Amino acid sequence: MTDKRAKNEIIKENSRALRGTISAGLGDVVTGAIAEDDQQLVKFHGTYMQDDRDVRGERAKKKLEKAFSFMIRLRIPGGVVTPSQWLQMDKIATEYANGTLRLTTRATFQLHGVIKSNMRRTMQAINAACLDTLAACGDVNRNVMSAANPYLSKAHGEAYELARKLSEHLLPQTGAYHEIWLDGEKVEDKSGPAQADVEPIYGTHYLPRKFKTVVAVPPANDTDIFAHDLGFIAIVEKGKVVGWNVTVGGGMGMTHGDTETFPRTADVLGFVTPELAIAAAEHVVTVQRDWGNREVRKRARLKYTVEDRGLDAYRAEVERRLGQKFGAPRPFAFASTGDPIGWHQGPDKKWHLTLYIENGRIKDVPGRTMRTAFREIAGIHAGEFVLTSNQNVIITNVAAKAKAKIEGILAAHGVDLTTSSGLRRNAMSCVALPTCGLALAESERYLPDLITSIEDILDEAGLRDDDIVMRMTGCPNGCARPYLAEIGLVGRGPGLYNLYLGAAFDGSRLSKLYAQDVDHAKILALLEPILLRYAKERHAGERFGDFTIRAGYVKATPAGNQFHADVALAG
Amino acid sequence: MTVRHLLPKSAPFTTDDIELLNGLVDRSSPTQRTWLAGFFAGLEAGQVQAQGAPAQPAAAQRPKVPLLILYASESGNAEGLALKARKAADKQGFQSRVVDMAEADLAALPKAKNILVIASTWGEGDPPQRAADFYGALMGDAAPRIDGVRFAVLALGDTAYVNFCLTGRKLDERLEALGGMRAAARADLDLDFAKQAAEWTDRTLKVLAPVEDDVTANIVHVDFKSYPEIDNEPRYTAENPIEAEITALVDLNGSGSTRETWHVEFAPDATDFEYTVGDAIGVLAENDPVLVEDLLVAVGLGGDSALAAKLVTSYDVTTLSRPLVDAYAKLTGRYDVSMLAVAESFAAFSADRQLIDLFLAYPEKLEAEQLLALLRPLPPRLYSVASSHKAHNGEAHLLVGAVRWAAHGRARKGVASTFLADRRKRGDKVRIYVKPNRHFRLPVDGDRPIVMIGAGTGVAPYRGFIAERGELGSKGKSWLFFGERNYTNDFLYQLEWQDHVASGALSRIDVAFSRDQPEKIYVQNRLWERRAELQDWIGQGAHLYVCGDEKGMARDVNETLVRILAEPHLGDLDAGRARLKELTKDGRYQRDVY
Repeated sequence: MTDKRAKNEIIKENSRALRGTISAGLGDVVTGAIAEDDQQLVKFHGTYMQDDRDVRGERAKKKLEKAFSFMIRLRIPGGVVTPSQWLQMDKIATEYANGTLRLTTRATFQLHGVIKSNMRRTMQAINAACLDTLAACGDVNRNVMSAANPYLSKAHGEAYELARKLSEHLLPQTGAYHEIWLDGEKVEDKSGPAQADVEPIYGTHYLPRKFKTVVAVPPANDTDIFAHDLGFIAIVEKGKVVGWNVTVGGGMGMTHGDTETFPRTADVLGFVTPELAIAAAEHVVTVQRDWGNREVRKRARLKYTVEDRGLDAYRAEVERRLGQKFGAPRPFAFASTGDPIGWHQGPDKKWHLTLYIENGRIKDVPGRTMRTAFREIAGIHAGEFVLTSNQNVIITNVAAKAKAKIEGILAAHGVDLTTSSGLRRNAMSCVALPTCGLALAESERYLPDLITSIEDILDEAGLRDDDIVMRMTGCPNGCARPYLAEIGLVGRGPGLYNLYLGAAFDGSRLSKLYAQDVDHAKILALLEPILLRYAKERHAGERFGDFTIRAGYVKATPAGNQFHADVALAG
Repeated sequence: MTVRHLLPKSAPFTTDDIELLNGLVDRSSPTQRTWLAGFFAGLEAGQVQAQGAPAQPAAAQRPKVPLLILYASESGNAEGLALKARKAADKQGFQSRVVDMAEADLAALPKAKNILVIASTWGEGDPPQRAADFYGALMGDAAPRIDGVRFAVLALGDTAYVNFCLTGRKLDERLEALGGMRAAARADLDLDFAKQAAEWTDRTLKVLAPVEDDVTANIVHVDFKSYPEIDNEPRYTAENPIEAEITALVDLNGSGSTRETWHVEFAPDATDFEYTVGDAIGVLAENDPVLVEDLLVAVGLGGDSALAAKLVTSYDVTTLSRPLVDAYAKLTGRYDVSMLAVAESFAAFSADRQLIDLFLAYPEKLEAEQLLALLRPLPPRLYSVASSHKAHNGEAHLLVGAVRWAAHGRARKGVASTFLADRRKRGDKVRIYVKPNRHFRLPVDGDRPIVMIGAGTGVAPYRGFIAERGELGSKGKSWLFFGERNYTNDFLYQLEWQDHVASGALSRIDVAFSRDQPEKIYVQNRLWERRAELQDWIGQGAHLYVCGDEKGMARDVNETLVRILAEPHLGDLDAGRARLKELTKDGRYQRDVY
């Protein structure tokens, strides 16, 4: 019988619990790359091998291999870091990475441009900051996000605690991470039998595909609960979390031109009480482990398992393993996916400042030395920093008398407390070029300019201060969750994007393809009349996404499997 | 590497014997060969009686005028002149010996009747490295008296350096102080030494002994002309360069690099253009026409295109030397310029300044002839060849670090490097020649392991070494230590090293990139980390090579090698030094540093 399994399954099987030949590869100094199979395995360790695509053309002529480097993604459940950790990350960025910190759509730090010879030192420096990168990527449960800022209410605190516990509980148990990165010199023994690391949850083949978990506290849907494999929605009564609505089957990734693949909004599986949450999560994971598609990798996410087997069957199997039935879903209501920018006061009278970080990129540029500002704040700040699912930062627990000082530092470094428009405030992009190997088009380096152009239209329409969610990714995998944006742009090729409209402002409904392969000018030409009309014709409180459906620009997408249906492209 | 065929096939020996002699002659030093020549001459004269009797060079026993030609050479210029001098001396009936100071014995000096010293000065007034020990001993209190010994010194130098010809000057003084009799006034020659050196040698030899006609009776004259590697001039020289087409010109550093290192390929259209890996290629560069025009305008000669053309191709228009300032002071009669020629003020003014600065700061109108008289000829620039004649189809590849800096409000450019990088393109022709480097050679035995240590452009000769050994199918292991600033953009020839590692032509590679991490890591740090294996390799007969910047690398590498070699001797650095000296003597520690 031929082995129909996807290639990655074989790699995992032969990896000796994610070891592969990573250690040997790190020692091979003639190349900045690692072996092809190891490139898959290092993802489980929180890193991707990449190369600078801007310079690909010149390298061979210069007798140089591709400009390889590594992206390192941290695992920071709930996105909470201490000032000391911030300072250490900042130092690591200077010493080993490209001098910037990238906040991601999974509420964590990413480092870019770490070369192979610095990988161990970087990992060790991260470890010294009491942080790690294990399972930040790969076919495992990745960084668990929770409703931003655990200090905002008691429920937020409980959501954060759950996120942490979920992350710990679903962490791979292999000793490979410690061995390869932290012990450094310890050379693996290839002669003996495979290492007998037991992975009680994952087994020898881990999950069929990546797995993403989030926790939300309504009415904020900042973690975009419907975009994830597994979600927990806090059901709060009298200020206390009485249990969680469990969601399954959300996910963004798809492949251009393949309607078998599609983004999908999660379904609510049912209600669990707090003490059952971890066990329920574990069994959602193990059912996906056993039921997930291991032959066709692009159909391996949990969303397709739910799609193919049915939500009821999935629920029944989880309940069987759990030995308990889910309760009926409790009512909940979300209002928005964005972060409220600015100062907010918590129940204990402490202040929290949410800062908008364009594209999540913390760097110094002339006139706007944001990285230095954060470094200075971390030097005097007694509270914590919270990285949000929207790539923003919250400076938490600021005493009223310290507010001015923090504002002073930000002002001194040219960091605004507000944004130029509601569109920008609600905008997100993935990293894309030059480092991401998947990118088909620019994203992070282009979105700010596109927004600036659209802001002219917004001014004309009188919409500058309106919240409109716009997201861009360089490829259809959807790191910045573009299919849940009211204006979604997904890269197709250099300078060309697919334009999606009609998603719900609260993150509950997917968008629909409106125009294909459009460039900068065309994007503006298409959006201008819609925005102008929206400004004139919208009902009171009507969101832009809802309007584009009512006005007939696109049909609504009630579920993921309808994403490719009823598409009528604009001329 | 195969043995070079030095003896012609027509030599009166069997084929096997020719092979045998080739092997022997190829690995012999000039001294050894000279000794043998004398020995055989003596043998013919029946002066060596018994087998096994301690053989003495017959030269000492010949009734000829003995002449010791002692040279101290860095880049090979002094060595080349010494060999030429021997030829001339032998024609005039001397019984001459050529001895490299690196191999010379101080005790032999008093016995010598006549000594011709040819010494170059290196860097800031130092003797050539290989001659440093001898030089130090000669200058020391234990040096023997040489009463009655006649001597003459030919000093080579570069007026661009303040301590012009210092080594030769000091040797000249010292030999006199030790009781020697100066037979001829010393000559201090600049980079354009060829003609004057030949004249001086001729003159001096005449003073030392008149020409005798029939002195050759009992001497077997070996025709050294058939020994191209030994003392024959290469086919193409600085005076007789070849026009070679540039067939590739690539900045090897990735964009974003702080470096600019050009890979230049020359394809000379001539079958007699030959070199050996380890040699240098001389480039007859041209000046920047913009700078030349600036210079002409400064002295009131702007717009003279014929003069400009002359300066561009033939004159050194950048070097600010003390003799030049002195000459300018005399020419202009300017007191302030004459004060500038005083040592301290010259040092202060000349720091990071060039000729243009002098003319701009002390402007005077000059006639074309006056200007030309101030200038020295444009010296060629030498680059270690980065290719193998065998492996690269007779092409010569160079690795050229572009030299650019700003000083005193002016952007400055290295003459030769920017001539190639900025002012020449693919398809252009450039005058080049071969400068043999007899002290940077692959082991004759291809099974010998080699350890190659180089930083930056210092990696150039190793590209030739590895290509050559790969082409010859040499079985010896090879190990490259390479250093630069950043891995991603400065790993010179990375793809080629990868191919060589894959094919086995390069057995090992270690790299040190100084700016990739908070602390600086250099090649010497890697050497130290790998010292156990290095000692193994040395134990297996490895030859060590160091190429690159003396101050920036070679000195530290040398010290590290001393420490490594001292380790088996409980860290006794003197023992390490002695061992390194041994390796040097055996030709197993060779350096090409600048």
